[in-house]
Amino acid sequence: MKIKLSSIMVENQASALAFYTDVLGFKKSKDIPVGEYRWLTVVSPDGYPDVELALEPNANPAAKAFQEAMFKQGIPLAAFEVDEIDAEAKRLKKNGVKFTTDPKQEGPVKFAVFSDTCGNLIQMYQPPRNGS
Amino acid sequence: MIVVLMIHPELLSRLCHARDRLREWEDSVLSVSEVARTSGFTRFHFIRLFKAIFGETPHQYRSRAQVEKAKHLLILTDLSITDVCMAVGFSSLGSFSALFSRRVGMPPSGFRRRYRRGLGPEPKLPASVIPGCLSLMAGISEKEHFSRSSL
Repeated sequence: MKIKLSSIMVENQASALAFYTDVLGFKKSKDIPVGEYRWLTVVSPDGYPDVELALEPNANPAAKAFQEAMFKQGIPLAAFEVDEIDAEAKRLKKNGVKFTTDPKQEGPVKFAVFSDTCGNLIQMYQPPRNGS
Repeated sequence: MIVVLMIHPELLSRLCHARDRLREWEDSVLSVSEVARTSGFTRFHFIRLFKAIFGETPHQYRSRAQVEKAKHLLILTDLSITDVCMAVGFSSLGSFSALFSRRVGMPPSGFRRRYRRGLGPEPKLPASVIPGCLSLMAGISEKEHFSRSSL
């Protein structure tokens, strides 16, 4: 059994694709119409090419309620790893991204949290350097 | 240019409550300006901040929420189209129908005919309207999956 697919719910698949590709730098992988929606996935050019993130519609009222409750409490629903979090945060802010937590060190990890404009808070983290 | 350095929890909370208020339309529909004011923002600042955080303006968000709610009522209840229109905060059937058709691609009556048919005495929202988590991948034909994959 392999972990090759993760997913996140989004308010609008088209807007999510724009944010996750143009702003975050992921690349579109699958985009297949399925009825009213799309089977839409992205991959990271910096990571393993066959690990996908599905951008799923949150049309289910229960899903939306969960997503909104997490957002209200400031709880991120996904986390992405970066090499240089300060530089990355600066780049994202220049692109209009709004942060709820600026990069800060907590134990071995430095992390930040921002809005993906599709209903989610996203955590970005920089793991400890080798040997530290 | 106004630069908001970080969205503190208190500000996030106010924005989330304002978002909730945009979905209140039982008694009367609050204008965007009123929602802004009761949440402690100027209209201009509220619209900019809302869009930056949620990806759409308060007005766009409300319209979308009204259409979503209308879709559910059309499928799950026997309310007349006029009653659905009023239940989602519209006083004009014409404006409601126009917005619905524009967003959904078919009029409210057409949508109801398509999705409510044969649902039985206790209808629930069909999977095509509210796809379950990861269920969309089941809708791809095998041929499409392998030919369209860029991996």
